[in-house]
Amino acid sequence: MEGTSPVESSKDEYSNLSLRPLDVSDIDDFMVWATDEKVTRFCTWETYTNKEDGLNFIKNTVVPHPWYRAICIDNRPIGAITVTSNSGNDRCRGELGYVLAFNYWGKGIVTRAVKMVADTIFEEWPHLMRLEALVDVENVGSQKVLEKAGFQREGVLRKYFVHRGKCRDRVMFSLLSTDPRI
Amino acid sequence: MEKIDLSRITLRPFKLEDADDFLLFAGDDQVTRYLRWKTLTSKEEALEHIKDVCINHPWRRSICIDDRSIGFVSIFPFSGDDRCRANFGFGVAVKYWGHGIATKAVKMAVPQFFVDFPHVVRLEAFVDVDNKASQKVVEKAGFQKEGMLRKYAYHKGRLTDFVVYSFLSSDLPIVEA
Repeated sequence: MEGTSPVESSKDEYSNLSLRPLDVSDIDDFMVWATDEKVTRFCTWETYTNKEDGLNFIKNTVVPHPWYRAICIDNRPIGAITVTSNSGNDRCRGELGYVLAFNYWGKGIVTRAVKMVADTIFEEWPHLMRLEALVDVENVGSQKVLEKAGFQREGVLRKYFVHRGKCRDRVMFSLLSTDPRI
Repeated sequence: MEKIDLSRITLRPFKLEDADDFLLFAGDDQVTRYLRWKTLTSKEEALEHIKDVCINHPWRRSICIDDRSIGFVSIFPFSGDDRCRANFGFGVAVKYWGHGIATKAVKMAVPQFFVDFPHVVRLEAFVDVDNKASQKVVEKAGFQKEGMLRKYAYHKGRLTDFVVYSFLSSDLPIVEA
């Protein structure tokens, strides 16, 4: 930014943040983040390379998903946020995941989206007691998001999970339905 | 309490012939309290459990004293992206508590398992926050405490906090205190 005028609050610039379902008509917006290796680096899924695979993902995974929402600015998807559900003895917990297009990083958008989820998911799913997130130990940006959103860091699970062929350490975070909302 | 020579403790696969001994611990609520198993109630159930669960299990061993079964160690590897880790569990008959038998059995099981499953690099034990005795066993056996998972799962109807411990193949050998 030029001159000496103060930097605009990023919140004003992106005040129209919303969460909504994602469908096949959003494919072009989806491909913006899903094909970007900077974005998918820590994702559990492989970077997308063609539109057909993207469409199949939306049809076969997103549409039937228990809770998949597009993160939107002015109703245009710039990322996604998800909560998975479990059954039986594990039904009390759900796992949070999120992804955001690179151009929108560093503006607090995902933190706001996570807080929006935290404010509604426990009412939508009364059986849910624990929202958890597992973050790669090197993914500091994502760890900061969760801390700012009020999640508690519970510990590092060493060599927990195979990612792109390597065993990785993951940091476990949780937010309980009984935890104070930030 | 008579001291037990821990060199009498061995690990081996279960046999149908262990059914009576198996029932002695698997039929005891004190032993199954923190296990997912339902307490067994008959020799028939014990035979079924040995046949259907123990013998087909990827890695379950009987903890034996003079070759008689007094407990178990159970290690279950996961699959897919979780294939580098396995879940660790154990139990010992109440009569044999307090002698360091479980700790000895765990120390014997860990290196054996890593030899048998070389692609698994992490053993993890999820221990009920109230189960102080088992926490001591895994700590003495060299597991590292990683943290507490709050309201992680239901256990026999109760929403439970679990302390998570791990032992990596790179943590071997177990250092004797």
